[in-house]
Amino acid sequence: MTNNKTDIIISVFLLCFSGIMINDASNIRDLGFEGMKADAWPRVVLWLLVIISSVMLGKSYLLFKTEGHVGNNNFKVNFAKFKNALICFGMFIFFLSTLDYLGMLLGGIVFVFGLLTFLGGFSPNLIFKHLTISILSIGFMWMIFTFGLRVMLPEGEILRVW
Amino acid sequence: MFDIILQAGASVLLDPLTLGLMGIGTLAGLLAGAIPGFTIAMGVILTLPFTFGMSPIQGLATMMGVFVGGLSGGLMSGMLTGIPGTPSSVATTFDGFPMVRSGKPGLALGLGLWSSFFGGMISAVILVALAPQLAFLGLEFGPWDYFALIVFALTITVSLSGDNMVKGLIAGCLGLFAACVGEDEINGVARFAFGSDHIRQGFAFLPVLIGLFAFSQLLSDVEDNVKAKSPLMAKTADPVRVEHRKAIALVVKNWINLFRSSFIGIFTGILPAAGGSISNILAYDQAKKAAPNRDEFGKGAVDGIIAPESANNATAGGALIMMMALGIPGDIVTAVMLGALMIHNIIPGPSFIQDEPLLAYGVFIAFFAAHFFMVGLQAFSLRLFLLVTRIPMYVLASVILAYCAIGVFALHNITFDIWVMFGFGVIGYFMRKLGFPLAPMILGVVLGKLAELNIARAIGTSDDYFLFVTRPWSLFFILMAIVSIIFPFYQNANKDSMFSKLYVPICMMVLSFPLFLMGSPVRMIIAAILLLAGSYFVYKRTTTLQVT
Repeated sequence: MTNNKTDIIISVFLLCFSGIMINDASNIRDLGFEGMKADAWPRVVLWLLVIISSVMLGKSYLLFKTEGHVGNNNFKVNFAKFKNALICFGMFIFFLSTLDYLGMLLGGIVFVFGLLTFLGGFSPNLIFKHLTISILSIGFMWMIFTFGLRVMLPEGEILRVW
Repeated sequence: MFDIILQAGASVLLDPLTLGLMGIGTLAGLLAGAIPGFTIAMGVILTLPFTFGMSPIQGLATMMGVFVGGLSGGLMSGMLTGIPGTPSSVATTFDGFPMVRSGKPGLALGLGLWSSFFGGMISAVILVALAPQLAFLGLEFGPWDYFALIVFALTITVSLSGDNMVKGLIAGCLGLFAACVGEDEINGVARFAFGSDHIRQGFAFLPVLIGLFAFSQLLSDVEDNVKAKSPLMAKTADPVRVEHRKAIALVVKNWINLFRSSFIGIFTGILPAAGGSISNILAYDQAKKAAPNRDEFGKGAVDGIIAPESANNATAGGALIMMMALGIPGDIVTAVMLGALMIHNIIPGPSFIQDEPLLAYGVFIAFFAAHFFMVGLQAFSLRLFLLVTRIPMYVLASVILAYCAIGVFALHNITFDIWVMFGFGVIGYFMRKLGFPLAPMILGVVLGKLAELNIARAIGTSDDYFLFVTRPWSLFFILMAIVSIIFPFYQNANKDSMFSKLYVPICMMVLSFPLFLMGSPVRMIIAAILLLAGSYFVYKRTTTLQVT
């Protein structure tokens, strides 16, 4: 996927990011002790990032000028490449947002089932298979962590009400 | 000394629970190494959450099992299907696969298995002998030297991580910055918290690591719809009976190759960031150059299997030497191990072996023992591997993503950690897509706090900044860092150019200078040898260039 144009965008993004963080570094409290201040090391790292990002910007701009844009601009093609990753992101955000309500057990089952079905397909046979896999796998993991490793996994409001 | 080794041995070998955990770890490692798309680092990272509830020695023994198992697991898929399970077994396929196709799968697997075993054993002996000595050397280090060593570890990671050094440097800086977020170690002042109490605590190591490495890898694995839905391996293989006796005899017969490759592996492992993926190819190349029957290489040569397999297992010992003695990870897997130790409130460093001898020697013994488990479990793992390869990737990825969330939550029992993992997973995924290597970022995260702590100590001790270049060890590591930064240019340079011919001898001459400054007789002899050899090569090559 990587090409000159993308590299230009990434380096500009990194420069903006570094700028924001350098600006925020001025909010770091100075306790007045002798020795290295708390903001010194992050500033060094961020200025280093600024320098290297500028090098990358210059390099990719020169390449862009000489070679032009190499890569695919077709939205559909690019979207298809990331479709599954975007599904994973979406399902994971849903899982995390509903964790307080569904808990790790139910939420985990819903997450795995949803992800399996979106990625694998919706036929009745597959849905049954996915449901079985999600219940067995999450149930097994939940038991190991809860009873074996004594981790208090989020119970979820739904199960608490019951 | 011996009573400590006996006690450490007893804590590992006489505890059935530790042995059982190590066995499970080795089996998991063999499978993780065998499955293409999974890496040893991923196997070790995913094992980490299980170790929170264990004692440090149990946790480390388990991870040691995964590490050793993973190094040997890659040979199964590489030999039987021609697709290496991990980058550290790429060269094994060059001769392993042809040997299997010529009707000797049992011998091929046996050779791989026993070469791994003997390579691991040689490196284990070196580990036990060298790590304490290197730790004594490490006691000479002041904060200036430590900081310079960390800079060297980061630069060599960047220079070895791929074609694009600029992106590697950016990844390293991002890792160092991620380690800055939260309260600083020295003053306890919040940094880049943006008013959030959670961020004020900083990013825990494990969620960052799982996000960057495992989460992003799984997303990449399911990216292609067709591949995600098909079984893990299109080619399947039949269970094979390993020919142990014949294989042992052949490995012992080719002992020169075994030792040479093992030492290549150990040396590569000691170098920060240079792991099994490099050593197996280096060892294969050297074996080919040294072999009288070079034409047989690529067609199922015995030496072509012994070299890469003994080298990649020996790399583990080398990487552990650096981690145990100096607290600097030799590769990503030992970076994870370092993180695991930190979770158990243990910070490896020069005094680690002296302060925690039971734990340190326990790790050495676990490394030994894991190799025996690896040999014993290979046949069983082969059957399991054939079963697992029938599962489509999307099923494995979905289940493991959920497991990552549960495992990360188990660290501090807070949901914020899962958000951190998700955030770094997204960053890691896009970094992979955009061609940024992840290894420098991971090393930056692991070493960032240590770097800051040491530079703060150095500045706190003396305001003379020249100490970074006047102290011999610090100067040595700074010069090594410069050498490693120039290394990619040397690799890409025209072989006949002046630069290419003089790079190595000039490096030898330059590195002799700090060794002279160290003053001890042995180091001065080494320095003199380096200087003389470097001068000789410079003279010889410049005269050759003038003639041509």
